[in-house]
Amino acid sequence: MRGFAAFARKEVLEIVRTWRLWVLPGIVLFFALTGPLMARFTPEILRAVASDQLGQFTLPDPTYADAYTGWIKNLSQIVLFALIIVYGGIVSSERRSGTAVLVLTKPVSRGAFILAKATVHSAFLAVLVVAGTLVTWGGTAIVFGEAPGGALWSASLAWLVFGILFVALMTLLSVVISPTAGAAGAGLGAYALVSIAALWTPLGTYSPAALTGVPTSLALGKSVETFWPVCTALLLAATLVALAVAAFRRQEL
Amino acid sequence: MSLAIRTSGLTKTYGEHRALDNVDLEVEEGSIFGFLGPNGAGKTTLLRMLTGLARPTSGVVQILGHDVTAVDDSIRARIGFLPDVPGFYDWMTAEEFLRFVGRLFSIDRRTLDERIGMLLGLSGLTDVTTAIGGYSRGMKQRLGVAQALINAPQLLLLDEPTSALDPMGRRDVLDMLTSLRGRTTVFFSTHILADVERVCDTVAILDRGRVVAHGPIQELTSRYAERKVILEVTDAAADLAQDISREPWATSVAVGPTGALEITVTDMDAARRSIPVLVAIRHTGLCRMDAGELGLEDVFVSLVGGGNR
Repeated sequence: MRGFAAFARKEVLEIVRTWRLWVLPGIVLFFALTGPLMARFTPEILRAVASDQLGQFTLPDPTYADAYTGWIKNLSQIVLFALIIVYGGIVSSERRSGTAVLVLTKPVSRGAFILAKATVHSAFLAVLVVAGTLVTWGGTAIVFGEAPGGALWSASLAWLVFGILFVALMTLLSVVISPTAGAAGAGLGAYALVSIAALWTPLGTYSPAALTGVPTSLALGKSVETFWPVCTALLLAATLVALAVAAFRRQEL
Repeated sequence: MSLAIRTSGLTKTYGEHRALDNVDLEVEEGSIFGFLGPNGAGKTTLLRMLTGLARPTSGVVQILGHDVTAVDDSIRARIGFLPDVPGFYDWMTAEEFLRFVGRLFSIDRRTLDERIGMLLGLSGLTDVTTAIGGYSRGMKQRLGVAQALINAPQLLLLDEPTSALDPMGRRDVLDMLTSLRGRTTVFFSTHILADVERVCDTVAILDRGRVVAHGPIQELTSRYAERKVILEVTDAAADLAQDISREPWATSVAVGPTGALEITVTDMDAARRSIPVLVAIRHTGLCRMDAGELGLEDVFVSLVGGGNR
């Protein structure tokens, strides 16, 4: 695919040299660092500030599982929302600034342009999730004294597949919706739809929608179906990128 | 004759608006071709179709013998392009940007190093180490010209390349374009007539999406010069203007800034025979009478309507 390597290299450099290096990594590392501490001390904080309101209700002692579920909850909500907003302009910002015109009048195919973006930013997300999971794992081990790796890593990797699906979705939305805010809004709407779809058992078990709940179950050490949700999510992500390429090829710049 | 660009019946519509209307254009290889037109005439639209950024509604666009809508991306390896407002990655330096563009063309490292050094010098950016985001518009325009040349293109397409430049920068860019004559086909759009007169062999004038004139500059100016007579008399110029305006061969008579009459004629022979007679009838003295030497600007204004737009 002509121009892929050179353009992908530019995408990597752009991450390293611009605000992109700070926003998502900052959010991920913040929650990775603070998650185990919050899990450990939240019950004590609650007892300290609201013991008279708790009455007969006793708060259970925190465990490593609380740190794990907190990490997955932050990935599934705040990190995912940030990802949707950040990638709302992944393609349209280049079209608006005129850089797409300068690049695409060189021997670079539109397919390479889109694929390079989807690939590099999926890889970037993978690095962030791995780094964040390592920090959470280490932090949990320090704070709780125990941190079994299997549950945390399987949960994080399951969420990573869901995150990559949204990188692909935002790539498509950014091609077809020019305003960044519009694409981000559509991305948030898609997330809401996926969450609702997960309530229907067949979709909530076998489709990508299952990945809204599967990571939390895995973090708690439960045995759940992961093969079909992961496979269908990766297939859907590839389809979304292919659609983005097709739509971009039809557009006039 | 080998053609670098050929369009035939090229039309582009946006809804009801016809941005290009049946444009036929031929640009010879090795020539420097000026594409003139007022704002909104369709110059940028044509360049977008030449580069494959937009598709024609109908008609044919050929670049270096290939149909732009049918070929793959490889044809772009032989083209250099500068858009009217070039967009850069603001976080890169000029050298980084040129290197990035060179990699898109798969230029080997040694050649790329040589070209980057040469083009940075040409664009006056050799010692500039700051990021492009801090550049003036002129600096960005010069960098834009440099990136368009990184692949030593066979065809160079430039959209208003001198519009943001100061006089020195303009001169440098025009000198550079002149130096490419015979080796690279240069096709540039502009509304700066002096630039076209200075460097171009051939020109096309576009108005409201239509090519209203097309040919070598000398041919165009002489074609229109034959139709104008400049007349200076000692007195009674206004009365003489009225007499002349009644003649069937005179389409317009205007008094120029120096008091000379500028007469547009349909039949030069008839005008040459009749004007001295009319001057004699008025008993006024004839100071000067000649076919006016029109510049490209006069041709341009007369073709696109000047202030009547």
